[in-house]
Amino acid sequence: MVETILQLTINGLLLGGIYALIAIGLTLIFGVVRIINFAQGEFLMIGMFATFWIFSLLKIDPYIALLIFTPLLFLLGMGTERVIIKPIQNAPALAQIFSTFGLSIVLQNGALMFWKSDYRSMETAYSSAMINWAGLMINVPRLVAFLVAVGIVIFLYLFLQKTYLGKAMSAVAQDRDAAQLMGVDINKIYMLAFGLGIGLEGLAGALIMPIYATYPTVGYTFGLIAFVVVVLGGLGNMIGAFLGGLVIGLVESFSGFFISPELNTAIYFLIFVLVLIIRPSGLMGMVGAEEMGLK
Amino acid sequence: MKKGNGSGLRWGISLGVAGILLVYPLLIRNPFYIHLFIMIYFYIFLALAWNVVGGFAGQLSLGHTVFYGIGAYTSTLLFINLGISPWMGMFAGGILATLTSGVIGIPCFRLHGPFFAMSTLALGEVFRILATYWRDLTQGAMGITIPIKFGWRNFIFEEKAVYYYIILAFTVAALGISYWIHRSRFGSNLVALREDEEAAESLGINVSRNKLWAMMISAFLAAAGGTFSAQYILFIDPDAEFSVGLSMMMAILPILGGIGTVWGPVIGATVLVPLQEFLRAWLGSSLHGLHLFIYGGLLIIVVTFLPRGILDWIQAWGRKALPFLFPTPALEKPVQPRPGHFLAWSWLHQKGSSDGPILEVKDLGKNFGGLAAIRQVSFEVRKGDIVGLIGPNGAGKTTLFNVISGFYRPDGGAVLYHGEAISSIHSAYRICRRGMGRTFQLVKPFQNISVLENVMTGAFLQSKTHAAAREDALEILELVGLCGVKSTLGKSLTIAERKRLELARALATRPDLLLLDEIMAGLNPKETDEAIQLIRKIRGHGITILMIEHVMQAVMQLSDRIVILHHGEKIGEGPPRQVAADEKVIKAYLGEEYVIT
Repeated sequence: MVETILQLTINGLLLGGIYALIAIGLTLIFGVVRIINFAQGEFLMIGMFATFWIFSLLKIDPYIALLIFTPLLFLLGMGTERVIIKPIQNAPALAQIFSTFGLSIVLQNGALMFWKSDYRSMETAYSSAMINWAGLMINVPRLVAFLVAVGIVIFLYLFLQKTYLGKAMSAVAQDRDAAQLMGVDINKIYMLAFGLGIGLEGLAGALIMPIYATYPTVGYTFGLIAFVVVVLGGLGNMIGAFLGGLVIGLVESFSGFFISPELNTAIYFLIFVLVLIIRPSGLMGMVGAEEMGLK
Repeated sequence: MKKGNGSGLRWGISLGVAGILLVYPLLIRNPFYIHLFIMIYFYIFLALAWNVVGGFAGQLSLGHTVFYGIGAYTSTLLFINLGISPWMGMFAGGILATLTSGVIGIPCFRLHGPFFAMSTLALGEVFRILATYWRDLTQGAMGITIPIKFGWRNFIFEEKAVYYYIILAFTVAALGISYWIHRSRFGSNLVALREDEEAAESLGINVSRNKLWAMMISAFLAAAGGTFSAQYILFIDPDAEFSVGLSMMMAILPILGGIGTVWGPVIGATVLVPLQEFLRAWLGSSLHGLHLFIYGGLLIIVVTFLPRGILDWIQAWGRKALPFLFPTPALEKPVQPRPGHFLAWSWLHQKGSSDGPILEVKDLGKNFGGLAAIRQVSFEVRKGDIVGLIGPNGAGKTTLFNVISGFYRPDGGAVLYHGEAISSIHSAYRICRRGMGRTFQLVKPFQNISVLENVMTGAFLQSKTHAAAREDALEILELVGLCGVKSTLGKSLTIAERKRLELARALATRPDLLLLDEIMAGLNPKETDEAIQLIRKIRGHGITILMIEHVMQAVMQLSDRIVILHHGEKIGEGPPRQVAADEKVIKAYLGEEYVIT
């Protein structure tokens, strides 16, 4: 029994790492640009499909592909910010919700038209490689994803604390008016933050492709989980997103074992709604969430 | 003809269209074209259902299939298990959905904007998963096939035409409900709370209750749509009944057509549903997703560039190109205010004529965390007086207003209004209904409705009908001098006009006591003079006024008495001259060295 619990904990933490990886981009965009990007999951989907195709057509390994797709999605994100997000920067909630929502519909159904609704997965040499650690099984690609998630949190933390650009970004996140008065070009910061948030989905897409199948609505599934994670961790909070990811991973691992894997999604969505209602600022609240309608 | 030629032509066209729609299934024998119209009506119906809470009340739900699915499953399960007619089942499903909407609405309405949308989206998924999981009841992902037994009792028909007339009737009913909401006090309340919840509360509107009603009406209608669809397709399964795609459609159609209007959902569905059905018929499954791809693109364009939807765009175009078909609303009905009706201020005489003060503030205190924003403040306001409330920035004046008007709960002391303690009510809308009106320092005009409609939201508190509220509103606009901009949207006003609009809207609730929070700040000297005259006029009608004001010229001219707050405490009170000479007041405002001894 103890062994089962330990194994479930490890599975949960590794899963949580993946969720955190996906959610960090969303929370970064929310924190800086103050937009809830309903299309976040669809960029993950694009990253996954791109990784899949480059692997099956050109035999390029996902861990190499990520070096290509992270910067490509970064550029795609910056372009998206210019075309779609910038015009609705100060628009009412209706426009802010439904333009990114419209984008998610466009990307999802574009993928459906191009690639059909088939599930596509890849088999790499290490897809099911395991490390046996004192009788506990650790899946290698999941461990890699987990470690990268930790690395990303540390990297972003240092970036936001130590670099000029990062400090400017934090300043915009805290008070956009004051940041603007201090000479920060907020439009540039929005574009960079959005690009960074989307670039991280390219990274995540490549990292999880050895583990999960991709299909046009995969972004919807993961996107919703990312929302749960981000709300739980506190919108805009990087460390919160990481912890939130771990919590949701553990919940899924344990409820899947003790209740029923079918109900996993229902359970964390209920947690999500409860958190929103009872403690909308999440585990680690953020300044300005009330601006978005959270009180 | 009194109404002019355009009206006759419009009626002619409307009757013609209605006539064609009534005989359509008799003329067209091709089942696809009947199916197409059934789908159009069906989506119009669902879009209208969503629009009640999503459009009028502005609560952007992305989980309306919860109600739709409950409707479909309730009527179907009652029918196949207990043999209960789906007509009865439709009402049972409607009631169950209504109750569910209450259970969902009460907690979720605490969330706003994207967070409300996200929580409803998540709840939609929860219901889909539960319907899949609960196999004993729902047969899970296999779905339920409804056995084909034709007949009215079973709500199953061989002829598509019957379904045509049923859904047409549903749609006409939903249109009737929408039109009623649009013209009623309820609809006005919804629009007010959509635009600004605090301002709506200050006009006597019970925000939570109105939202809940909108949600419940919307849920009932969506559930009826679910039953209709189940009886039309004769098969239900969790993925279809609780489909995210359908939740999206219910929101997208009204948004594209014109959110929060009666005809927007109709336009949205009439334009988009044929597109979807034709693409499906032509391309089959070869380009699955193309119609949603187009919808998504349109959605981005519309919310970014045409937030009021296609309908608004058509109307704007029509007014230019076909003015006889699209009359400008202002010309629709010539306005004849009835001077003397509202301005008889008849309500003022109905209130008891006791001689006590209208407002007594006793030892009032309010803390924020460890900070005492107001401490032990006491004063009285006598009926018919103008009392000025002054003090340096941060003295606690607005906090005091918020406590008196029920937005904050006091931490000590009492507020007596007409001799009754109201500080325990802690409910702004209830206090407004007792006759206390207020304005906000940071003005909160309802941005996306006209000046007239802004004032009508206040007038609806006392007037039952649209016509009465409109006339009251027009008279108040005349009084405050905003008649010239009555069709302008709230967001397009100048600062001076906004301040007057706040005053007009508060006045429309027929208060006997008005709390005015810096209504002269930011006005130029001429506007200030006009505002002074206006306040005199209002007082002349017997309304008591308590005003926070920094413009000394106004305070000195208008006030019968002045109360001075400093660091949350009352440091003086008296007639203007006496207060102006008071050492403590000068110290508070200018500092120690300005006191002339």
